[in-house]
Amino acid sequence: MKKSKTMLAVFIAPAVLTFLIAFLYPIIRTVYMSFFALENVTDKMDTWSFVGTENFITLFTQSPLYVQSMSNITRIWLIGGAGVFVTALLFSAILTSGIRFKSFFRAVIYLPNVVSAVAMGTMWVQYVYNPRFGLVSTVLNFLGFKELAQTQLTSPAYVFYALMIAYSFGMVGYFLLIFVAAIDGIPFDYFEAATIEGANFFNRFFSITLPLIAENIRTCIVLWSVAVVNFFAWSMVFSPLQPENGTVSPVVYMYQLVFGSNIMSTVQRNVGVGAAVGVTLSLFVIVIFGATSFIFRKYKVEY
Amino acid sequence: MKRLFSVLALVLSISIVLAACGSPAPAEPAPAAPAAPAETAPAPADGDSIHLVYWSMWNNTEPQAQVLEQGIRDFEARNPGVTVEINWAGREIRQTLSPAIDNGMQIDIFDEDTQRVNENWGNYILNLEKYYEESYPTTDGVPYKDVVMPALQSLSRSFSADGGLYTVGYQPFAFIFMYNKDHFADAGIASVPKTWEEFLDACEKLKAAGYTPLTSDNEYISGLFGYHLAKLKGPDFGTDLVNDASGALWDDPAVLEAAKAIEALAANGYFDRNAEGNIWPAGQQDIAIGTVTMYLNGTWLVNEIMGSTGPEFPWGSFNYPAVSGGVSGIEAANYGSQVFAINKDCAHPDKAFELLVHLTTGEWDAKLAQESFGVPVAGTTDWPVQLSEAKAVFESLTTLYPWVAGVESNTDVGPVVRQNVQRLAGGSITAEQFVANCKSGT
Repeated sequence: MKKSKTMLAVFIAPAVLTFLIAFLYPIIRTVYMSFFALENVTDKMDTWSFVGTENFITLFTQSPLYVQSMSNITRIWLIGGAGVFVTALLFSAILTSGIRFKSFFRAVIYLPNVVSAVAMGTMWVQYVYNPRFGLVSTVLNFLGFKELAQTQLTSPAYVFYALMIAYSFGMVGYFLLIFVAAIDGIPFDYFEAATIEGANFFNRFFSITLPLIAENIRTCIVLWSVAVVNFFAWSMVFSPLQPENGTVSPVVYMYQLVFGSNIMSTVQRNVGVGAAVGVTLSLFVIVIFGATSFIFRKYKVEY
Repeated sequence: MKRLFSVLALVLSISIVLAACGSPAPAEPAPAAPAAPAETAPAPADGDSIHLVYWSMWNNTEPQAQVLEQGIRDFEARNPGVTVEINWAGREIRQTLSPAIDNGMQIDIFDEDTQRVNENWGNYILNLEKYYEESYPTTDGVPYKDVVMPALQSLSRSFSADGGLYTVGYQPFAFIFMYNKDHFADAGIASVPKTWEEFLDACEKLKAAGYTPLTSDNEYISGLFGYHLAKLKGPDFGTDLVNDASGALWDDPAVLEAAKAIEALAANGYFDRNAEGNIWPAGQQDIAIGTVTMYLNGTWLVNEIMGSTGPEFPWGSFNYPAVSGGVSGIEAANYGSQVFAINKDCAHPDKAFELLVHLTTGEWDAKLAQESFGVPVAGTTDWPVQLSEAKAVFESLTTLYPWVAGVESNTDVGPVVRQNVQRLAGGSITAEQFVANCKSGT
């Protein structure tokens, strides 16, 4: 076995090395940078000036737009997440209940994930929500709700919800696929036995399906959290040139601080604060990961 | 297991040592040698080759890029031994330029917006005063500084740290009202409005003729409030307003007056009914398809929506009108340009500047203006027909407003102002609510 261990090390080394260079170094540099003030992301370290935790304090006490962006993603995470998970679980339970054309429906629901986020977002913004000829307004007009059809769904009052619905709609298929695969992995005997004992669809779903795919749900919550924390493309489609209160996300805010405003360089850059945003977001994900691991610790199953 | 770790550690240490050996150099070395400081570079003897690298803010599918490439190839043909390598970086250049230069890549020429180049990239650029003083083959024996628009030179100076001239302007724009001349003619509007009263009169006539006078998009709508305020209070007030932490400036009567002006436009039904919810470029498309008449935007709008309008669209333009009791009139607007800059470490700055002159004068200046439906740089070049009215506006400009007159110059307050202008234009809030909302957002 001596030889194979050497081989093992040789084979692992490139991956470990790549990780250290491509991930660990930037992580350490970003964390370090978050305690300094600097203007360019590539500025030499001797030009950085140490500011301690000031960047973090600035973010949470003097940057209403950042606080707004955190509020936006928290609401997307919670409200949008609840919608996405309930819908995906419901659809996956239906799709695995032996209905016909399962593959077809699965493909249709997954389809939005195949289309690029920018194309999807543009479709929602410029077509679905358009009060002149959009899908929502056409449907409402057809149903006779003329007044309601005039609603400007992308105006400041509604744009956050417009964004959340559009984004969540596309994400259902992604989680559906994971849930369907997980449910398919549950031995069929369990359902059969339960059915013979008189369990209905809901009994089977809540007593067998849900506990047995809890581990997958945990993974999905982590994936959802990472996706929401990295919320960028959709925000940019809804406010393409400059961040707005209803659609701003922390990553967009960070981008603006690090690279300057998109439309004109009217905004002072501060890479240190940008790095602090990155660090805060990472902590957010770590907390979610820890919390879900703790909550779901009892649900490990092996067949 | 111990052995496994020691082998792993050995392999890692070897790799790290190897990587460290190469660390002073960039991971991706420049296509050519790293830039040498100008003073140490050997002057090329006749016949020696000069290799320049240009990083462009354009994507190669854009008309600007296509004309620039032809112009550059023409320059190469006229200057044997000179080769220019182009990287069509597109707007990604905002992220990629600094790291590339910091890591020693050869980038001799680059371009972006005047403010960005002079302020954000000010440490990389070469002072060009002495090159502006010289004459070139395409300047007819006149110094370059006397050929190109003086406004662009003062604009460049206004953004540089020491007031020096570091950049070469091209693709100028002014932020003014762009409108459909056919609608104006149909409504019986004989001349473009110069005062706010004339503007309101034009709106009324358009409405009576069955046209929707005005629209905007979320990204530009703040300009209506900002420029109105600037006409009343001057170029700097907007910037002071959004950066005043006490919020006291929001109580200035001019703020309410500017808000009232927009409120009145909404109340009179001059705004398109979708103006509040338009996400760029929805409002622009309404102009293109002839649903709406006027849109406050850069003169670049002609090129930006050319795909929808076609070249025959009856474009007209006029500056934001003067407001009674205001401190500045139609001689003031936000204007700017893209600029070229030369890296201060460029080995051949003379040749690089010659290239920039070649691109911004004579044949290529004209071609760039025609193909991109933009504004030419040299005073003698013909303007595209779509911008014929904009020429008069440009010639009258003497006062520079900042972007949207500064009302978005604060990262946190800008979005608050913008969304409240949207709501004001949609008639969802009153001018008083607008002021109160913005004040509480500071």
